[in-house]
Amino acid sequence: MISITGIGWINQQEYGCVMMGIQESYAVDALPKKKIFSHAFKNFGRLDSVSKMTCSAIALALKDAGIDCPPESKRDIGTIGSGSSGSLQSDLDYFRDYLDSGRTLSRGNLFIYTLPSSPAGEAAIHFGLQGPVFYIAGPGNSVATALRTASEIILNNEASVMLAGMTGPDSAVYFVLKKTSDAAGDVLCSYDYAMKVMETNSGLDDMVREFLNSMKGSVV
Amino acid sequence: MPREMAGRGVSPEEMKAVVVSYDMITAYGRGAGACWDGTMSGRTAVSHFDRFNTQAFQSSSAAIIRGLDYLREDSLVMQMMKQLFNGSAASIPGRSALILATTKGEIDLLERSLLTGQGEASGCNLNNLLQKVSRLAGIKGDGMVISAACASASAAVARAAAMIRSGKHDSVLVVACDSVTEFVYSGFSSLMALDKFAARPFDKNRRGLSLGEAAAYALLMSESRAGKEKRKTLGEIAGWGLSDDANHMTGPSRTGDGLALAITKAMKLAGTDEKDIGFISAHGTGTIYNDAMEIKSFNSVFREKKPVYSIKGGIGHTMGAAGLVEMIMALRALKEKTVPPTVNLEDIDDDATGWVSRRERSIGPDKKALLTNAGFSGINAALVLAP
Repeated sequence: MISITGIGWINQQEYGCVMMGIQESYAVDALPKKKIFSHAFKNFGRLDSVSKMTCSAIALALKDAGIDCPPESKRDIGTIGSGSSGSLQSDLDYFRDYLDSGRTLSRGNLFIYTLPSSPAGEAAIHFGLQGPVFYIAGPGNSVATALRTASEIILNNEASVMLAGMTGPDSAVYFVLKKTSDAAGDVLCSYDYAMKVMETNSGLDDMVREFLNSMKGSVV
Repeated sequence: MPREMAGRGVSPEEMKAVVVSYDMITAYGRGAGACWDGTMSGRTAVSHFDRFNTQAFQSSSAAIIRGLDYLREDSLVMQMMKQLFNGSAASIPGRSALILATTKGEIDLLERSLLTGQGEASGCNLNNLLQKVSRLAGIKGDGMVISAACASASAAVARAAAMIRSGKHDSVLVVACDSVTEFVYSGFSSLMALDKFAARPFDKNRRGLSLGEAAAYALLMSESRAGKEKRKTLGEIAGWGLSDDANHMTGPSRTGDGLALAITKAMKLAGTDEKDIGFISAHGTGTIYNDAMEIKSFNSVFREKKPVYSIKGGIGHTMGAAGLVEMIMALRALKEKTVPPTVNLEDIDDDATGWVSRRERSIGPDKKALLTNAGFSGINAALVLAP
């Protein structure tokens, strides 16, 4: 069976790990990188805002699932990202910057974030994740589509562990999915339960609250 | 919603994912035949263009589709799509699942909004394009967009084949597109990735890629459904593998280990031995590092050299559409039992000697094709295609 073994989340004021029961506040524009990332994130400042949120949520999800990702080592974990507006903000930032230069110079460092798959790609590079990486979009709840696809990839033995999640304008949530036996003790909830929560909660914050409440009540 | 097959007994024949129809539009013209003939002729479709001012850029060449109107009401990709689906939508089952592959979709709508104030920049949202394509193709249910940089289309084909193999769907339409816009062109130029003239994949003197534009579709079905509907089978998606280099955002791994991983996964899933692979349709962008990385990957996977080619010297790098156009060309190559030449190849790079050729080559019977793609973020995709 496919289970959720960790959930990491972050918004503009708080971040947390659902299974570990971590929920901490932080001051605006003062992301506590040392607390979130197990090893230093090279050039974190050059990332666009979606990539910063995505990589932070993924760091928290991996920590929640007890997956250690030391630098220079690689592992068979894939990442599916999703979001309501794709790379729109980075598209605007890149093209406005180019227009401001008189349509002569553009910046490669802004251009690379105009790909919707780049935030998940940044996470793959930092954490050494060699599984499938792509961005998924569609009508309705795209995080549910991302989770469903991640589950299919594991069942098809295309990757042993998958990260799937969504980054919105002000928040991000990522899930760790893996194949487990019925008796596995490191499971947060079943894939079916997670999908049920996603179908009934549209906002990321609502979704996280529901998982946190579930943990407290041990209903999973 | 597409017809769900889950929950009932599914035989191995039903789970085989086969291609039953396809079409494309590239700089060579409308149709797979035009692309095949153009590639086989060795003539490049990359040329000087004046869609926008390229004076400040590294190059002023691209493989563009003639007759498209830039910054008009319809985006460039929708103009391509309207040609593509004109008359063919009737043969696509309305209850098919839809997967759209693209990197920047209708990004010219954002350009138009910022340059002229017409329309909303958010009009380029990929979900909007998905709905438009869905309507054009006559798809009744929901679909999804897959974006995996320049491996978007092969990643989409992989997911479509997986959906059929799992028995959850028996008909999936994969559509892929991207266009040459000022947005994209300026970006690649800023990364110093463009050849001043036309891309020369695997050539000793290669300098970079040439951008191109294309739209394509392929209808995949379970072999069982294709048989029931008496559809002609054009080939099978026998295996697929996706991986990431986990190395660098814009440059490929120097070792080629990421792509080798994708190839190994695809061949394992296809149950294919290296002797079964008749040829390789490479990503072959014409950049120094991509082509070197691919040859390293091939060397690490195969004990014997295979015929390798790239079509990007002919139609340019069509980004999110590349994998689908190349898959269709590889299926054609399997049918013709002919490996196309690599267009613009003059002086073969030392590392690529014995792999690539300026000339067409023949392949034996019962061979399969390997297709590779790679993109920013170190994304790799490999497909194994059977005739």
